[in-house]
Formats: sequence, C-alpha cells, structure tokens
Amino acid sequence: MFVEPSARAIRVEDPEEVEKEAGRSSKITVVPEGAEWNAVEQVMLQRRSIRKYKKAQVPAHLIRRMLEMGRYAPSQGNCQPWKFVVIRDSAIIQGIEDFCVGECKKTSSAIDYASMPAGSFKRFVTRIKAKLFNRLQPNMMHPVPVSGITAIAEGRFAVFHHAPTVILLLMDKRGIGVPPIDIGICGTNIVLAAQSLGLGTCWIGFSKFLNQSPEWCVKLGVEEPYEISEAITVGYPVGNPTHLIARETHEIGWFEDGKKQVLY
Amino acid sequence: MALLSKQERRHFPDWDDSEQCKFHRVAVDLEKCDGCKLCTIVCPSNVLELFVDGNGKKKARVKENHRGCISCNNCYAICESGAIEASHHYDFVGYYRQLGRGEFSKPRIF
Repeated sequence: MFVEPSARAIRVEDPEEVEKEAGRSSKITVVPEGAEWNAVEQVMLQRRSIRKYKKAQVPAHLIRRMLEMGRYAPSQGNCQPWKFVVIRDSAIIQGIEDFCVGECKKTSSAIDYASMPAGSFKRFVTRIKAKLFNRLQPNMMHPVPVSGITAIAEGRFAVFHHAPTVILLLMDKRGIGVPPIDIGICGTNIVLAAQSLGLGTCWIGFSKFLNQSPEWCVKLGVEEPYEISEAITVGYPVGNPTHLIARETHEIGWFEDGKKQVLY
Repeated sequence: MALLSKQERRHFPDWDDSEQCKFHRVAVDLEKCDGCKLCTIVCPSNVLELFVDGNGKKKARVKENHRGCISCNNCYAICESGAIEASHHYDFVGYYRQLGRGEFSKPRIF
C-alpha cells in the first residue's frame, strides 16, 4: 500500500514540552562532585569472586530473590535467552565437579607441554599441537585459563569451589543478536544481588565442559536449543574480603567540544 | 592501524617461559602482617603460606616456585591490616600483550 511521504513522517514533538504540559516533569537527580559511593556502587566495588565458602547452605528464598533480579535483566530485543538450573544437592555438585576435573585432566594431558620432560619427543609433539590449537582458539587457550586447567588437573584448584549452591545459566542458542552477552548481563544482576544479600559468588566458565556429557545434560535437563553458558557458585564467604583493592585503569577516549582527550 | 604488530599477532607465548608469560604476583608487607592466616585460607590456588619469622612471630608469605596465582586478589581484599598488595598484574608477550592499561588505582571518587 502506498503511503504519502508526509503521512509517514514522524510527528516531531518536544518530549520535554509534553511532560511539562502534563504537569508530570521528572526531576533531574543532582549528584554533586565527590559524593560518597551510594549503596549500589558500594555493592559493585565490594563484590569479589569468592572461592572459599562456609558449609552453611544458603536459604532457598535468597536464591529465588537473586534469580528474580536475573529475570529483570535487559536483553537484546527483550528475548531473555536464559533458563536457570539450581543445584543444592551435594552429591550432584560433587558429580559435576568430578566430571569437570576429568575433562581438565584430559585437556591438560593433551596440550600442557610445559609439564612434560624437557627434550622429550612427547613434549615436542604436544607443543606443536598446542601452538596450533592456540592459533585456532586464542580465547580459550589464553595462558590464564590454560594454567587454570593445569591447576585443576593437578588437584591444586577446584572447579565449583565446594559451594553449597550452584546455579547453571543455560542459554537459548536462538537468542537475538549475541545471546552470550545477555547471559552475562543476567548473571551480573544475579551476582550483584547476591553481594547485596551478604552472599559470595563466583562465575565458573569451566562448567561449559558439562555440555560435552550427554549423561549430565540429560540429568540436568540441558536440551537443544539450550546449552550451559556459565555457572555461578553461591555461598557465604569465609572471612570478610571487603577491603577495596587497587586495579588497573583503562584508556578512555573522550570526545567533547570538538576535541579528543585520552583519559585513564 | 593496529596496536599489535604482525609479528606479535603471530606469536603465541610459551606457557612455561616466565619471560614470555608473566603471571600475577602479590607481595606481603611483613611489617604490617599480623599472621591471622586468613589469606592462606582464602587463596584458591594455595599460593600463600604461614612461616615463623626471626622474632618468633607468624607471618604470611608467597610460596617459593609457586605456580598458579590466578590474580583473584582475595588475599588483598581479606587482609585487614593492609599488608598484601598486588606487585604486578599478569602480562604476556606477542598476541596476548596487554593494551590500553594505565596505573593501578583504588576506586576513585569523581
């Protein structure tokens, strides 16, 4: 159907005039320079990845409260590509721990040439394999996760940190745009809510190994088109890790008044 | 325009070469450490240990030849006497060289 161009044009009204006429103008919140951190900022600054938990279980209603914050996370096209699996059964948590440790052991023995005897043929071949894999999967094969995999394989580090509750974040692979980003935003809501409730959390990327186990997928209800995107461990932290730490500053390109500045 | 040279983009560092892969390090200020032991407990990688110094006092220190500090900084965050700080964050040569980072700073109020 042909529509006159004039009819297609959006009517230009000044939104601020409209709110004024309606007598319903919103107020501009004034935050003075140098104001102290507010409650939300405080939570963001004090949140840490907690890897040592007390044995006490987290009350179920607090987990529900956190997931409720996840439910209200923004997502691309409001597609909400998430589904949650909450595990509070210590036998299941031990089971997924053992499976992920096993996968780390396999991965480590396939790629960790650094732990093989110097000058050996095995080390020579493994190094070539690892370098090739590194080039193909530069994100997964970053030296930091690789050293994590080695530490888990050697039993120096746990996958789920013996937390009393583990939340799996499942992602609908059909999500709009870039669904892993939505999972990240959803999980951020969850971990910040947890921090505000006095709970410690940690993101567990190695939980993705579970996608490789048909048995665990069936048991946990992970079916197409869903996959495990991330996991979050939850529990009460040991000690009070609330001391604010120093971190790197990052480059900020700042464009204003026709000038570009670089700030940190 | 690229921040990494062609050579760097092709170079994947050796994991076992400390010149190519510099991992995170923390330093304990023994003057301030009160030997509460909490940092050795929260460290997920078991990098810190308690020892008895010359004056018979318990202090924390980074284990020699340790592998595996994951730069979680929880020892730093849990230390109530402010004795632990990161001495340097990780950095790598080649493909993984850190970019666009400035000085370390505590949260700044603007």
